[in-house]
Amino acid sequence: MANDKKKGLDTNGNIYTIVYAAVMVVIVAFLLAFISSALKPKQDANVENDTKGQILAALGFDRKAVDVQKTFAENVTDKVLNNGQLEDYDGPFLSSYGTALKNGDLHVFVAKTATGEDAYVLPVVGRGLWGGLWGYIALDATKTKVLGTYFYHESETAGLGARIGDRDFQEKFIGKPVCDAEGNVALTVVKDGAAKQDYEVNGVTGATLTSKGVGAMCTEGLAVYYLAGFAAQCEQPCQQTECDTTEVEQN
Amino acid sequence: MEHLISLFVRSIFVDNMIFAFFLGMCSYLAVSKNVKTALGLGVAVTFVLLVTVPVDYALQTYVLGPNALVEGVDLTFLAFILFIAVIAGIVQLVEMVVERFSPSLYAALGIFLPLIAVNCAIMGASLFMQQRVQMDPETSTQAIAGFGDAIAYALGSGIGWLLAIVGLAAIREKMAYTDVPKPLQGLGITFITVGLMAMAFMCFSGLNI
Amino acid sequence: MSKLFSSENKEIFLNPLNANNPIAVQVLGICSALAVTSQLEPAIVMGLSVTAITAFSNVIISLLRKTIPNRIRIIVQLVVVAALVTIVSQVLKAFAYDVSVQLSVYVGLIITNCILMGRLEAFAMQNGPWESFLDGVGNGLGYALILVIVGFVRELLGFGTLLGFQVVPQCLYDWGYQNNGMMTMPAMSLIIVGCVIWVHRSFNKEEQK
Repeated sequence: MANDKKKGLDTNGNIYTIVYAAVMVVIVAFLLAFISSALKPKQDANVENDTKGQILAALGFDRKAVDVQKTFAENVTDKVLNNGQLEDYDGPFLSSYGTALKNGDLHVFVAKTATGEDAYVLPVVGRGLWGGLWGYIALDATKTKVLGTYFYHESETAGLGARIGDRDFQEKFIGKPVCDAEGNVALTVVKDGAAKQDYEVNGVTGATLTSKGVGAMCTEGLAVYYLAGFAAQCEQPCQQTECDTTEVEQN
Repeated sequence: MEHLISLFVRSIFVDNMIFAFFLGMCSYLAVSKNVKTALGLGVAVTFVLLVTVPVDYALQTYVLGPNALVEGVDLTFLAFILFIAVIAGIVQLVEMVVERFSPSLYAALGIFLPLIAVNCAIMGASLFMQQRVQMDPETSTQAIAGFGDAIAYALGSGIGWLLAIVGLAAIREKMAYTDVPKPLQGLGITFITVGLMAMAFMCFSGLNI
Repeated sequence: MSKLFSSENKEIFLNPLNANNPIAVQVLGICSALAVTSQLEPAIVMGLSVTAITAFSNVIISLLRKTIPNRIRIIVQLVVVAALVTIVSQVLKAFAYDVSVQLSVYVGLIITNCILMGRLEAFAMQNGPWESFLDGVGNGLGYALILVIVGFVRELLGFGTLLGFQVVPQCLYDWGYQNNGMMTMPAMSLIIVGCVIWVHRSFNKEEQK
């Protein structure tokens, strides 16, 4: 340290104290600025990776096991919905979609799922019991059926509302239709055990309000896309049982 | 207004500094042996929080945040140093002001004031504030979007801390008469008591404000 | 070299691990100890971060100890600690992003961790760099030890996993075993620390009050 030269000085003098403080502040400020700018690109890449991993999770990939950057680049293209048409998006990758959705920039990720199916991933945002929620919903090529979801939250109660982040809950959405019989976007979450319709998903036990928040996020978030012309209309996908019976009859 | 009230109530009961985040535990455990001193420390912490959180809020929004001071510059990496400097400075200042204008209050708070600079609850409130500034007030009851919110949050956190320490002190005063196993006496039983109090406070987490 | 590993130095290093453990005996640094222990991984990372910071801040202060002006002693210590904490937090964000999200504000709260200021003031200001380094590592590891014990119990009973790997076999669940959701709640960490202290004091009779 530069101060070693000053040994023998009165270490309690005013001038010494002020100079010491000033030198220390300058050294520390430069050191921190240097480290911060050196690590910045790596940190930004981590944030971007995290979002990409969440989108991949909605597509059924195991985000811990795959190389996120590579898998994302191979399977997902970022597009924007404009007057009902999907256009290429050439801006920088966004790591959160709350502001974009508010401004009416509807991002659609045209993608392939882990099993190779064509899919569209739509980002949605909403509010839970305590804070913001966000999620990514993967729809099949007919835009009528859910292939997978990913949800997360800012500050839901640990052990209750926070369980919307668990795979168990998110996998309950797989195979659900987006629309009801009248052709309205209807995918939603209801109190645990109360699901009667195809498009209703059982919520998390003991976390009714957070579950409702996820439900509203799905219905409202998807409705925005359908109104903007993402799909021509909400057609009911053929029910699993009906499909089977038709096939049997044909045979 | 609704947001202010829910932020305030929430920071007292649900986001309680002690029971939800364990902040300020060191002085919490050390100074909770009788109700009177506990009350004194609680008031001092609330007071310092009320001053430091809004000041750090101003620093965060006008100096540190992305694009706040100079377009394109993000000084967030200096936050830790600036916040702790502000806290240490303000504690010093509060001590001098209280000594000058209210000697009786100074005599009551005297020994606690310097301790507060290293109380995690104070630093913690500023760091949580920094996190909450980024939240969207439309979707989150925790968001802090202005000086009003910052003050409500500071006051709520302080009162929550005060409640917690006075409660524990009262229990410990009574506990002096109970027969606790020897190795568990003192610190051990205090931890377990605080754990049980925290569980009781967990009931508030279902509040729909 | 023999002087470097003399018996006094061994004592400096080993003492804080058991007989003079910073959490169980000195009751320092509880604040950040509890909230990060719901799983083993963040507990380990937090323990290592604190160890690194206590060790290096002890060395730096010990090197500077003859030059530091007495009046701004505390401020100098705070600045050194805050700078080191900022570095650790930046490094975690860059190389262990998931863990840094889990630790959230608790990394910043290492600054107000009483272990740090306590060791700087009580040890590094009077001793040479090598002893201070050992003292810092010893205290950091003593702290990490408790964190890891609490994290181990909570993750095992709360999630049935360790470091994210399933360790409770499926057949136990088939027989009706359930993960204890209570363990994932913050309140349980207090009670576990209380029990750790209980066990610790049963074995170290001289600590009992």
